[in-house]
Amino acid sequence: MMLSLARRWRNWIQPSLMRRLLLAQAGVVALLWTMVIALLLYDSYEDPELLKLDKIFHTVIAIAQNTADRPARQQETLAAFDAALLEAVGDGNAASDTSPVLQVWQGDRLIYRSTAAVPVILNIMPNRIETVSAGGREWRARTLVSTTSDTRVMLAEPSIWRLTVTILNRGYYLLPLVISLPFLVFPAWLSVRLALRPWRRVSQETAERGPADLTPLSYMPPHKELQPLVQSINSLLQRVRDSTSRERSLIADAAHELRTPLAAMRVNVEALKEQSTDERQRELMGNLLRSNDRAARLVGQLLQLMRSDAVSDSALPVMLSLDGLVQDRLAMIESLASARGVELELECEDSVPVLGERESLVSMIDNLVNNAIKYSPTGGTVVVNVSRDGSQALLTVADQGPGIPHTLRERVFDRFFRNPDQSQSGSGLGLAIVKSVVDRHGGEVRLGETASGGLLATVRLPLAVAEAPQPLLCS
Amino acid sequence: MNLLLVEDDLDLGNGVRIALANQGMDVVWVRRLDDALRTLDGGTFDMVLLDLGLPDGDGLDLLFRLRRDRQILPVLVLSARDALNDRLRSLDDGADDYLVKPFALAELLSRVRALARRSYGFNDETIRMRGLAMHEPTRGVIVDGEPVELSRCEFDLLALLLKRTGRVVTRRVMEEQVLPGGQANGSNSLEVHISNLRKKIGQGYIRTVRGIGYVIDVQSLARSTQK
Repeated sequence: MMLSLARRWRNWIQPSLMRRLLLAQAGVVALLWTMVIALLLYDSYEDPELLKLDKIFHTVIAIAQNTADRPARQQETLAAFDAALLEAVGDGNAASDTSPVLQVWQGDRLIYRSTAAVPVILNIMPNRIETVSAGGREWRARTLVSTTSDTRVMLAEPSIWRLTVTILNRGYYLLPLVISLPFLVFPAWLSVRLALRPWRRVSQETAERGPADLTPLSYMPPHKELQPLVQSINSLLQRVRDSTSRERSLIADAAHELRTPLAAMRVNVEALKEQSTDERQRELMGNLLRSNDRAARLVGQLLQLMRSDAVSDSALPVMLSLDGLVQDRLAMIESLASARGVELELECEDSVPVLGERESLVSMIDNLVNNAIKYSPTGGTVVVNVSRDGSQALLTVADQGPGIPHTLRERVFDRFFRNPDQSQSGSGLGLAIVKSVVDRHGGEVRLGETASGGLLATVRLPLAVAEAPQPLLCS
Repeated sequence: MNLLLVEDDLDLGNGVRIALANQGMDVVWVRRLDDALRTLDGGTFDMVLLDLGLPDGDGLDLLFRLRRDRQILPVLVLSARDALNDRLRSLDDGADDYLVKPFALAELLSRVRALARRSYGFNDETIRMRGLAMHEPTRGVIVDGEPVELSRCEFDLLALLLKRTGRVVTRRVMEEQVLPGGQANGSNSLEVHISNLRKKIGQGYIRTVRGIGYVIDVQSLARSTQK
């Protein structure tokens, strides 16, 4: 639980291009929105409309002058006008933060003020819109002096800063942004996901690659962002392919070149051994020859391995009868078996066709059977069986040797791996070759145990579809 | 027997030369293709042992020229190339046998002798194997001094096995080469023929390799008849 949470968290905080795109888009939207708000605010900061309306001032002056002789009426009329003004501009409440403030003087006497909450605001220059601080707030204020009397009218609106704070506080502009962002982000996510489909196809094809598959990617996207990526992947694959094939041919050449000196060593030692009568010398030369044998076998197996590993372009698979091939190979190997006192036995069904490369299959059969012979006790029997099993050709090789412990049965397919407990000399390549050949033919190889504890190697290859069963004989 | 050895590797060439000379063969050893051609023009040889990768060309060129000019001279190819294609190409080009390096001296000697036998006219020779003697032209078989009457099939089977002494002859080859097509269908007709053959020549010669084929071993069957 904790683990999966941790994994999910790691997954979530891992940088993602999708998230970058979405964040960038959301950022751009937010930025645009802010700019719109700023523009609106700037517009409203640009001298409030109300203060520019000279007619209001003149009307107030006219009211004040005309009713100067009847103060009660004057107050009443000014209050009515102020109320109308508030109705038109503010929210109708004189005490509100956003309401404009009207103050009227005659001479030095303040004859009207909208609200007592706002202290007297004095402009320095008449007829100009100024920012004035009063009652702890900033105001935009303008005072107009009557040209015919000593009446002054001051009209003030709360300053822009207050306005901004107010607006933001009320979420008047922000709310739509907050509400609409998710709706903007989801389509963006969807569209980005759709647009990135070729990208996913490339990564999928790369991910599905087996380790041996070094052919170029089959999908070449036409998009100019993806093309360089795919091209560089392909050129990397090409380089790896080249270096692998160079390495392979280097090993093959080296193995090949080793054969002549090995042959020379062998022929010379053998000639020497024939001439020598000293038993001790002959024994030493026998050791030399055995080492020579091992080296020669290793060289041969290296070549087989290189051949069976090579992405075979030249060797086309052909229809082969596995039963016939096994019989031929066993006939060749029999002399080795009888020299070791091991009996070979073949049980096979008629006509087990497989599609394959003859030489690889030959080295597969040889290695399996040679292994079985090598680990068989003297007088033991190696039983080879070829049969059909459903849509598969089945080849089993059973010996009476010590078998391979359960824990090592996977590892013995590794190159140069040898069971540390056994004393037989070997290169550790035989089963690696078998595995490589079987893999290339789309089959599988398993190691098991016979009833008597010997090794039972089972190879399954896909059965080729023969048009008509060929009447091939082998009991 | 005069042998021409064409091998560019010093140690191998020298070793083979000495080993073959020890067996009483006369060996002329050359290391280049043009030397080989000159030597062949100058002397008479019974056989050529030919390496394929030579410093001044491919041994197959020599083989090709030999086959063009001297039809019968046996050629045994000694090569480090063990791929099936290389063997097949050499044999198609007219090589009589193909031996992959590194080879055992015994195998080289036995192949050289076998080739020599064949080129001297194998058919006229009597093949002897322990107490068994077979003369192919007259289809006569003598076991321990006593002539034995064999049917045509039985004689052909014995000849096949004797010519490949020490090597297993697969059932398929026997059935294809010896038994007439009709008989091949009976699953045990080969067993019947072999069994009859054994009754006539004795049990000690032909060894059964179950499921694979039959073989006449070079050495006595003592070990395998124990089973």
